[in-house]
Amino acid sequence: MEDVRIKNLSFTKRPISIPADYRPMYKIAKIVLILKNCCRSECSDLLKSHLFSWALKSQRNMDKLKEYVTNNFTTEFSVWGIEPALNRALQFAVAEKICELVDGKKYQLTEKGNKFFDLINKDDELFVEEKAFLKFIGKNKITDKRLQTMSKQWSLSYA
Amino acid sequence: MLKIRAIKIEVNTSNGLFGAEYQFESGLNIIRGNNSTGKSSLFQSILYGLGFEELLGARNEKTMQAVLKDQVEYPKGTLNDVIQSFVYLEIENKETVTIKRSVISQIRKPQLVDVFFGAHLTEPNKSYESKPMYIHDSGGASNELYGFHLFLANFLEWNLPEVVTTTGDLNKLYIQQVAPSFIKEQKSGWSDFMATMPYYGIRNTSARVLEFILNLDVFENEKRKQHIKIQKQVFNNKWSNHVSQLNKLAERSGGTLSGISETPQIINNFNNIFIQVIKDDSAISLNEYNNLQKLELEGLEKYPTGNVGSKVLGNEVFLNELNQKLNQLSLNHNLLSPELNFDKERLKQYEKQLLAVHEDLKKNKGALKVKTLGASLPSEVAFDHCPTCHQDLKDSLLPTDIEQNPMRIEDNIAFLDAQERMIQIFTEGQRKSIKDKEKQLSSYQLQLSEVRQQIRAIQQELISDERLPSVLEIEKRLNLKKRVEFFNKITEDFYLLIEELKLLSKEYEVLLRKEKNLPKDFFSLEDKNKLSNLEAYFIYLLREFNYQSKVFDNITISKESYLPVINKTLPNGFEKQYDIIFDSSASDFIRCIWAYSTALLNTSVHHNSNHPKLLIFDEPKQQDIAMEDFKKFLAELSKYEEQQVLVFASFENSDESFKASTEGLKFHLNQIQEKLIRPI
Repeated sequence: MEDVRIKNLSFTKRPISIPADYRPMYKIAKIVLILKNCCRSECSDLLKSHLFSWALKSQRNMDKLKEYVTNNFTTEFSVWGIEPALNRALQFAVAEKICELVDGKKYQLTEKGNKFFDLINKDDELFVEEKAFLKFIGKNKITDKRLQTMSKQWSLSYA
Repeated sequence: MLKIRAIKIEVNTSNGLFGAEYQFESGLNIIRGNNSTGKSSLFQSILYGLGFEELLGARNEKTMQAVLKDQVEYPKGTLNDVIQSFVYLEIENKETVTIKRSVISQIRKPQLVDVFFGAHLTEPNKSYESKPMYIHDSGGASNELYGFHLFLANFLEWNLPEVVTTTGDLNKLYIQQVAPSFIKEQKSGWSDFMATMPYYGIRNTSARVLEFILNLDVFENEKRKQHIKIQKQVFNNKWSNHVSQLNKLAERSGGTLSGISETPQIINNFNNIFIQVIKDDSAISLNEYNNLQKLELEGLEKYPTGNVGSKVLGNEVFLNELNQKLNQLSLNHNLLSPELNFDKERLKQYEKQLLAVHEDLKKNKGALKVKTLGASLPSEVAFDHCPTCHQDLKDSLLPTDIEQNPMRIEDNIAFLDAQERMIQIFTEGQRKSIKDKEKQLSSYQLQLSEVRQQIRAIQQELISDERLPSVLEIEKRLNLKKRVEFFNKITEDFYLLIEELKLLSKEYEVLLRKEKNLPKDFFSLEDKNKLSNLEAYFIYLLREFNYQSKVFDNITISKESYLPVINKTLPNGFEKQYDIIFDSSASDFIRCIWAYSTALLNTSVHHNSNHPKLLIFDEPKQQDIAMEDFKKFLAELSKYEEQQVLVFASFENSDESFKASTEGLKFHLNQIQEKLIRPI
């Protein structure tokens, strides 16, 4: 075997596969679905968006949140994830005027956002499980107050 | 040939008997009548009499005009209710028969027709034998005694060919399907060459009909080809059935079948097919194995059964051997068992991975869709531009300060697709390996318990009274005998099956030879003559009728559909054929249908093929074609004096037009005065 000449070795960086959840448009679509389906006046604060965004990440998460709701909020429901990717997606969404910042802390769906929702909603093959889940939750099951108690419990038991 | 000699319509109304009667001659017959005098009713009555009303779009009396089933208006302004109506049609080939069919009748369904064996209309004074037959109901085309369409086919001396249906069965071409090649109906008959053809699930019907009309040999060849194809399918089933019988037999003997596959093949050496069994870790054929057993049995039977004492020494040696075998077997078993568990665990992981990749793939496909949706919104992000600064954006939500280069979604999908396939292959391999190992393990277990049983028996014998006969040996002999018998039976059955297999192999060889012998070029010399005749005459007529849409050099008759097509050379040098309908103006397409129908007749006259030598046109002057061109068409039709042509036309409701377009032509005129249906 010939000597391997280290000097002559070179590496090419290949594109990597990233999860669909890290695609901006995909995340924005999820945000639109959440705002439209689960938020009163299509308006939500950051924490709530994070809760649903976390739930939509996998079937397991969805099942967990669903169980929590059907058991009348009595089962143990620990931490949900907070991810920077969602914040970036929200920034994009605001810049695209798909949603807008209200009072500096809440995100609300715009007309363009509603249009995007219609496009996604019309397609029967897109987000099938996700749509069913969000419809089940609806606008009234997880209110801001509920969210507050949830996060309070969280800080009580984990902080 | 088919000649329509006469038609009679009888309508009983609340105000007495109405009707009409017309006679037709050989050669050109012009049935002239102004608009709404009942020209089409007459045309439709001819179709109805022949049972061809499906060309009008439905079956039975609903296809007929109101004048035959609801009300007759006569004189103008007075309506008379129809009580009963009949159509009589006298036709001639070698003999003459008359068909009577009801449109409205209290006692007769329209499916029922009477056939009189004679000229009931033109020579009404004689009496003729008659016979009831039926149309359309199942059996209408096949029942020898009572099916009218079968009778009609026989009457025309047509042997309607069998064609392959969409389900792969062979079915006779229906006579109604042949009719559009010589009958053109007014409303939709002029929209395509064979526009009014009823559909019965037959493949490429119009091509089959034209092959039949022109009596092409290619038909026979095509049919033979299809027939062999179907025979092969049937044979494949037979073969795989047979192989599975052999397999079952092999399984019963605890072995596997070797030397034959599930797909048919020609076998030259049948000795290569045998049942393979495992003896002492090596594979031998069942036959050899049985011979060994027989030898052993013979060896045993030479000596009388010994008693326990005489066997002690041998038994001790044997016990030793058995113990060793037991050790080896349990070692093998113990080695394989964890391996199997390991494999199963790995399979579980593969399955989990597969699920994850599948989920991921689904999400990615969703992401791609969302991106296209976003692009139509429009959104800058969907085009990988930053909505604020309009610079290029990596399609990713990872922090920008991380050095990263994500795949495009499309690539990502392809990547995951490949992954999914790879894991699928792994899983399949893993499953198979698990199955094999499980089989092996259970065989070890079986052997283990057998050996243990033997050891127990020997131990028992070693401590029993030395003067007793050896139970062990008796048992061994009996078992061996039983097994030899069992294997003999298996072998016997096996050879019976092999004998049958020899026949099957022969049959397959014959089948393959037949397939090989099919002609490569399906058209016979005569076929080629007919087609070139058709093409030449078609183009001659187009010229004659003043067709202008296309250069004549590019027009040919397709070798597949037998319909006229336009040849086009594409820029890359390839030839392509277009339906002539796409490339002709509306009036030129009517000229095409004139020319094609006439050219078919002309070719058939020259080559005496199956064409009924009858053409019927309902209002052929469509699309405001010039009178001169129409006259040329009529002039062409008037040449067929031996055959029969019926033309129903209004001549623009004017005598001048009629004169202009028929002057100097030889024809027989039937004029409908005022109204077709009038008191008689």
